[in-house]
Amino acid sequence: MDSLDDHIFQEDDHRTAFIFTPPSSDPSASANTTKGTPSRPAKRRRVSSKQQQSTPTNNNTSHHAEHDQDHDHDQDPALPFPPLLSSRESPACTSLRASLFAEAWPALESRIEDVLRGANRSTLEAVHGFLLEASSDGQGCERGGTDKKIPAGFIITGPNIAGQELLFGQLAEELAGGGARVVRVRSGEGVNLKAVLKRVVRDAGRMGEDEEEEGGGRRYLDYDLEALYEVLKGKREAERRVVVAFQDSEAFDNALLTDLVRLFYEWRGRIRFEVLFGIATSVELFQARLLKSKSRLMLGRQFDVVQADKVLESVFKAAVVGNRAVVRLGPGLLRSLMERQQEQVAGIQVFISSLKYAYMCHFYANSLSFLLAGPDKLGREMLQAEHLEAVRSLESFKTHVEAAVEARQLKHAQSLLDDDEYLTGQILEQGSKREEYLLQLLQSLHLLVAMGLHTTPFTELYISALSDGVDLASGDSPVLDNVKRLGPTEIAALIGRLLNAIRDGSPELDLPGWEDDAEDLTKALTEIRDDIEALEQRAKTERNPLKSKYSAQSRVVRTTVVAQKVQLSHDTAKLTNDDKAFTEAIDRLAEVLSRHIQSDPVTSCPLHEAWLYDAKSPYRDVFVPRPGVTFSRALSRPHDYLSCACCKSNGTTAGTLPTTAILYHLYLEAGALINVADLWSAYLALVGEDTNIGLDERTALVQFYRGLGELRTMGFVKQSKKKADHIAKLRWL
Amino acid sequence: MVRRKSQAEESAARPPKKRSLEVDPYEVPDDVTSPKPSRGPAASARRPAASKAAEGEAEDSVDETQASVEPSPTKKRPGRPPKANGQAVTPSALRKKAVVATPIKLNGINGVDTPSRRNNADRSARRKSARALIDRVVGGAISDDEGEEEDIAREIYESSDEEDEDEKAEQEPIATTPSKRGPGRPRKGTTTATRKRSPTPPRDLPPHEQYFYQNKPGLTKTSGNNLSSLDLLTHEEYFSVLRQIKDPHAKDVEFLQSLHAESFPQWTFELSQGFNTCLYGYGSKRRLLHQFATYLSSKDRASPPSKIVIINGYVRTTSLREILSTLGTAASHKLTTGTPVAMVQSLLSFLTSTPTTTLILLINSIDATPLRKPGSQSILAQLAAHPQIRLVCSTDTPDFPFLWDSGQRSSFNFVFHDCTTFAPFGPEIDVVDEVHELLGRKARRVGGKEGVAFVLRSLPENAKSLFRLLVTEVIVAMDEGDSGSSEGPAVEYRMVYNKAVEEFICSSEMAFRTLLKEFHDHQIITSHKDSLGTELLSLPFRKDELEAILEDLMS
Repeated sequence: MDSLDDHIFQEDDHRTAFIFTPPSSDPSASANTTKGTPSRPAKRRRVSSKQQQSTPTNNNTSHHAEHDQDHDHDQDPALPFPPLLSSRESPACTSLRASLFAEAWPALESRIEDVLRGANRSTLEAVHGFLLEASSDGQGCERGGTDKKIPAGFIITGPNIAGQELLFGQLAEELAGGGARVVRVRSGEGVNLKAVLKRVVRDAGRMGEDEEEEGGGRRYLDYDLEALYEVLKGKREAERRVVVAFQDSEAFDNALLTDLVRLFYEWRGRIRFEVLFGIATSVELFQARLLKSKSRLMLGRQFDVVQADKVLESVFKAAVVGNRAVVRLGPGLLRSLMERQQEQVAGIQVFISSLKYAYMCHFYANSLSFLLAGPDKLGREMLQAEHLEAVRSLESFKTHVEAAVEARQLKHAQSLLDDDEYLTGQILEQGSKREEYLLQLLQSLHLLVAMGLHTTPFTELYISALSDGVDLASGDSPVLDNVKRLGPTEIAALIGRLLNAIRDGSPELDLPGWEDDAEDLTKALTEIRDDIEALEQRAKTERNPLKSKYSAQSRVVRTTVVAQKVQLSHDTAKLTNDDKAFTEAIDRLAEVLSRHIQSDPVTSCPLHEAWLYDAKSPYRDVFVPRPGVTFSRALSRPHDYLSCACCKSNGTTAGTLPTTAILYHLYLEAGALINVADLWSAYLALVGEDTNIGLDERTALVQFYRGLGELRTMGFVKQSKKKADHIAKLRWL
Repeated sequence: MVRRKSQAEESAARPPKKRSLEVDPYEVPDDVTSPKPSRGPAASARRPAASKAAEGEAEDSVDETQASVEPSPTKKRPGRPPKANGQAVTPSALRKKAVVATPIKLNGINGVDTPSRRNNADRSARRKSARALIDRVVGGAISDDEGEEEDIAREIYESSDEEDEDEKAEQEPIATTPSKRGPGRPRKGTTTATRKRSPTPPRDLPPHEQYFYQNKPGLTKTSGNNLSSLDLLTHEEYFSVLRQIKDPHAKDVEFLQSLHAESFPQWTFELSQGFNTCLYGYGSKRRLLHQFATYLSSKDRASPPSKIVIINGYVRTTSLREILSTLGTAASHKLTTGTPVAMVQSLLSFLTSTPTTTLILLINSIDATPLRKPGSQSILAQLAAHPQIRLVCSTDTPDFPFLWDSGQRSSFNFVFHDCTTFAPFGPEIDVVDEVHELLGRKARRVGGKEGVAFVLRSLPENAKSLFRLLVTEVIVAMDEGDSGSSEGPAVEYRMVYNKAVEEFICSSEMAFRTLLKEFHDHQIITSHKDSLGTELLSLPFRKDELEAILEDLMS
């Protein structure tokens, strides 16, 4: 910081707000600003051009507009990715990473948006249908006019107000599609009657304004509903509806809502108002707040929004598990993310943001992330010596080499370590290996879910599959046991479900069907099914129910009372030949399933570091800050941050510490009430003239003032009136 | 003897004369005699002191008793004096009680209940093993594993035997204490008890435990020192000294800042992805944000370049209107005047209509008092949620996350970064005023005692009397230890009025109000309503000032 800069800033420090002008070290930039600014406003302020621009992007497309814009920005070659590998990374790799991110995330984001839209679809349609129905019902008695009530939808959104934004956005789109004018009001904006009306008039009136240029007409106050009526007058019936949506109804003033309902009711002959309330608690509670006479003016119906955890699961399937997810999130990170969703009632948006941040981190900070590029963009020449070095230091590489040595593939191991060319080839192959692995994982999971024998939620299933792999044959998994206990018809149905799953794949996971690749599996399954069906047929004619040695009927525990003692005995029923055949079929099925439904833990994949992101700490630091810990650490052990020579922490309060840190130490030792006079003398004893710090009293006092002032600003102490010159402690970190 | 004791008991009801013990309202009086119901306003404060003093006197009397009786128990001293012995010697009921009470109290507070519970368990184990041993002996036959069992049982039996002896050894000194020292000093018992209750603060308590520990009633003992001998700093002196101070850590602070500056590209990337950044941690982040602004403007290749607006939340006059109008200027858009809400809507709809304009907001101290109102935060959240506005802010307090509800938090879409800078706060804090406010010396008032005297001199006689009445009442309230609410000890309006009428200071409430108005105008009284709606009056002075004023008024 040069002195000039300092000086400029000194003045600005005391202003509330100012426009920052960069120090004119870069002449081109400053010229740009000075030239650009004055000419711009004249152009932009012209009303007509603004409206032309605003009309199309208005309500339904605004989301897309913002999206496109994001996209534009991502395409920007100057995406700020610094080179990694101690700045020796080639620009090609850096920009490849950047462009990979720019492709990967928006694709995924739009997929997530589709999912979210789909999740609320039924609610939206129900609301839409209700409003249409209510308004057409009302038409009949419009002539009478008096008993027509305002249609009111009560949408139970649950306590998470963060999620409402999305729902109401979608609702507005949906309703606007039907020709209605939608006005969304939040409690923050609707402070009084005037403000709400202004908003209603402006938002509802704006949509048709370009056609409606009346010019010399009468002028209305901007909260006069008459103005809105003027706009709507000439419209067709369907376009004269105005839907006012109160997003967080509970936060509105009671009286305000009552007034609005009354007003809307009175205007119903001219403007067809409909209202929607977003409700966090329950309709009963909400109704209790409104005046009875006013609630009678509304014709209401309640709508429930899809449960948040269901939405979460479908987003999870699409964005984390699905085939479109480019970067895989590791089990550790996923687990902590899901925990946070459940424990902190965080909205779905938080989950999506976290996901996005994981993508950002991966491409921004992982020098190997460019390996995710398709083979067309990835060439041998892109791999630098540093990359190879990085690969060789990977954990997964080490385990791979060790495994190779164990398996006596010494040549392979040797070449991996020494031969750069060989390693490069191997690295370039990892893309296909990754796809293979993921495909196998997803197919296995899909089949597992299709079997329908699992009670654990899908998220849990996926996370454990990543961390421990899928292995039906191992003793831990109850799946095969469950399969074996099934009866013949159930097994046939199970096989049918599996075959369907293989044929159709999973649209939720973006997994196409893989019937062609799984011929042996389908063949084996069909065979088993045919066998079992034949057996069952025979059993039916013989009237002898088919059973296997696993099924529950075959083992009966008998209790016999002999001479006042209870005897337990296991009774194994005799198995017929058919039963034995059935048992054998079940065994075959179990074997086939355990062969095909299997997957290794993700960490066993060589080079998984290039596409798996499992770092918990950046996520936690960035989204769940722990300021208390940070502050207390900074103040109690400044050395951790400053790493200065003078205050190596040895548990004592040294005079060399920054003033506030000294005061904080004394603060910790004090009770709930602190005598400032004593604090001062203690401080002076630490830094005063008798110590090796040797501050004179006035200087020490200035420092003391500063420290105390900082403590107060940070909210550690407040004035206490209990005793003269005492302050009260406010914080226990 | 006995008469003396009853005297001592009687004295409990009387206010103390001899001893001015430290008032401890939470101390449970040891003696049974309850003091008579109090009459005066200060009586409730005096009560515990009285009982305590009574206790003291009782002790004294006991001491003396002990001295006179001493010869008889000393004979029995050699050997182990059983408790009953001590009791037999004690001539009065009071004494007996004191002797017995001591060990019990010790037990309870020492926290020996857990070991004793353990002892019980041990004892029952021992009983069982004893029974097992007996059974063995009676039954005779010993097989191999039974022998093992027997060994275990024997072991248990023996070990607890030893322990029992240990226990006895431990208990012995306690048991003997009263008789050795003589039962005349039950005080010893109480002091150990209190000392046990407040040893040096236990280390490494978790914060919430620390809170409860430190807020325990009766623990807030601070010395009576005050800063009256210290010549407090004036603004001029503060700044002139400050200019000469050289921070020994300046280099380290600079280095730390440069470390933070290395993450500028990362922050830029996060901003570009629609996240907003929030910096927290100890130290001023103003310089860092400024550097970031410089960095952003140098890296900005968008056309037209995005406008950077810096907002200083710590400036006391900060208002939303000003912030918004600056933003409007930055966006080259004339905002509709009106409420901030309307201004925001106008700004946002303008931005939506011109997708090329982007604004970057850098807010210093978003958690500073002027911006803390929920209204301001919701407006900032609305701004931050707009895709063309990026927001970087810094916070200074450790509890900034409480500023936002979940809706605001999600519209802010923050990523948080620990930016502990250790940089000294400059314009953020008006140090001298802050500290003086903290110490209750407010600069804006009429200069203390002299000011009041000056004001009163120009007022009629009954105004002076009323003020004297007020001061007296407030001092009494202070003595009662009623700290009132934030404004210190306060007295009820109604009560003051009644007293004023009694003393013929004024005859109607109208006149009373007029007099009070005069005081209000000169800011020598303040009034507020408590949660029940009772109007309270208080004086913005410290106790010593009030006493000085009262002295002036009386003379």
